[in-house]
Amino acid sequence: MDAPSYMLTKIAEKDDLAVYELFFGPNHPGMHGNFGYVLEMIGTEIVKVRPNAGQLHRGFEKLMEQKLWVQNIALVPRICVVDPDPNEVAYCTAIEKIMGIEIPDRAKFIRTITLEMSRLTSFLMGMGALGAALGLYTPMYIMTADRDLILDLFEWLTGGRIYHIFNIPGGVRNDLPEGWVDRLNKVLDHLEKRLIEYDKILFENPIVHKRLKGLGYVSKEDAVRFGLTGPNLRASGNPYDVRVDDPYAAYAYLDVKVIIQEGGDALTRAVQVRIEFEETIKLIRQALKLMPEGEVRLNLGNLAMLKVPKGEAYAKVESSKGEFGYYVVSDGGMKPYRVAVRGPSLPAGLLLAQKHLPKMKIDDVAAWMGSLAICPPDIDK
Amino acid sequence: MKLSKEEIIDLLKQRGLEVNDLYPTQISVIVNKENLINHLVYLKSIGFDHLSFINAVDFIDEGEFELVYHVWSYTNKVHVLNKVRIDRNDPKIPTIVDLWEQAQFYEQEVHEFFGIVFEGNKDLSPLFLENWLDIPPLRKDFDTREFSIRLFDAKPNGGDR
Repeated sequence: MDAPSYMLTKIAEKDDLAVYELFFGPNHPGMHGNFGYVLEMIGTEIVKVRPNAGQLHRGFEKLMEQKLWVQNIALVPRICVVDPDPNEVAYCTAIEKIMGIEIPDRAKFIRTITLEMSRLTSFLMGMGALGAALGLYTPMYIMTADRDLILDLFEWLTGGRIYHIFNIPGGVRNDLPEGWVDRLNKVLDHLEKRLIEYDKILFENPIVHKRLKGLGYVSKEDAVRFGLTGPNLRASGNPYDVRVDDPYAAYAYLDVKVIIQEGGDALTRAVQVRIEFEETIKLIRQALKLMPEGEVRLNLGNLAMLKVPKGEAYAKVESSKGEFGYYVVSDGGMKPYRVAVRGPSLPAGLLLAQKHLPKMKIDDVAAWMGSLAICPPDIDK
Repeated sequence: MKLSKEEIIDLLKQRGLEVNDLYPTQISVIVNKENLINHLVYLKSIGFDHLSFINAVDFIDEGEFELVYHVWSYTNKVHVLNKVRIDRNDPKIPTIVDLWEQAQFYEQEVHEFFGIVFEGNKDLSPLFLENWLDIPPLRKDFDTREFSIRLFDAKPNGGDR
């Protein structure tokens, strides 16, 4: 592949108009992280698009074959920066499936609560970024500040703000500290009050409606056909959610409400995230209420010496962006034989881009990416 | 029409396939290379509409690659791992882009990291690595340490420092 051009390159002329090639990558303020599209443009209209992935490729899948089972837990959250917990849980669940062990109930609930908190942080980041892509920076500032309140809780619980490395095969590292649940309840109250503010500045904002309505429409059938998952799938009218269809952690004990909308465009997807944000808060409250007392981890001996029996398993988790899956193969040794990761962003980031971006104006690319919650790290891995 | 996991296992066994019941919502099926497309078309016809992803495993000691096609059914709520073994020295398999369009990128990825050729796929250009000069990196015989020492002229164990 040719090195991406960082300048406008005139590549052809068509009906007296010049066709330019523009590299819409990390150099562009609207791009989410290290990813790029090479756009062929006439004026401000896109003619053709070529996704330019790989700028964040770190070879996780190879690296994980060279580390001990438990060492990999420090690696996997880095596959998705804004929503790291689903990686840990999916990886640990796959190991537990192969080993044939069932973790204690309290550990399941703690996993569920941290997963949902991680979802909140990711939604806040996503909604804020969508606002910023439309030139509305206030929501982003407010939401980043609110996200910090959840990160504080994570720091108290796990020692890490972004990467928690909290789940281990057999449960979670430690129990909830004293006073932590009260603090969490206060943060949830605060976020619920803030929702009114979010609505005023973002979701009821005429700019948002004007820019997002009708952008990047995905029909109900196409959403399934192209492999979209998560809020993107549900915003197109498909009532599917891994938490309900294939429950993991403590979701089997909880009443998860699957909310769908029929719109299928960028505005619907933005509102879908807003609705699911509210549901997530309710779900954490529900889990806190039902959480039993007891052990939080199984005693598996020295985890550094952990040997996983020969076998294979696929474990998936409903992350804030959709289905995050880990396919783990063990040959009975101290290290995984193969770990393959399914990230939720690939179908939208690579396939839908080629279908949606042509004929779109360049101004809409960032908003389109934000509405589909495309997160490049899980494409590149 | 919703099928239970047991019914699906029966249906697949009737078609002469080896089926393993792995976990409550997960089964694995061993498929021939020649039979792959037919089998996936059949699965799609009984409600397996979501292709999660495609990955490969390098069984170097057995001289084989194993391709795993992850398929989930939203109606039946069952995950099927469709496993195809192919010869490591002549890794070729038909493409499934006609069945699921997003397979294009998974096939490109597997081609790039394992060197498996998907016959009928028109674009197997590299997706992630730029100017890659060595054997496909996720193969088991690719040595990352030896590669970086050679490429960056690094001294083992930090040299004389």
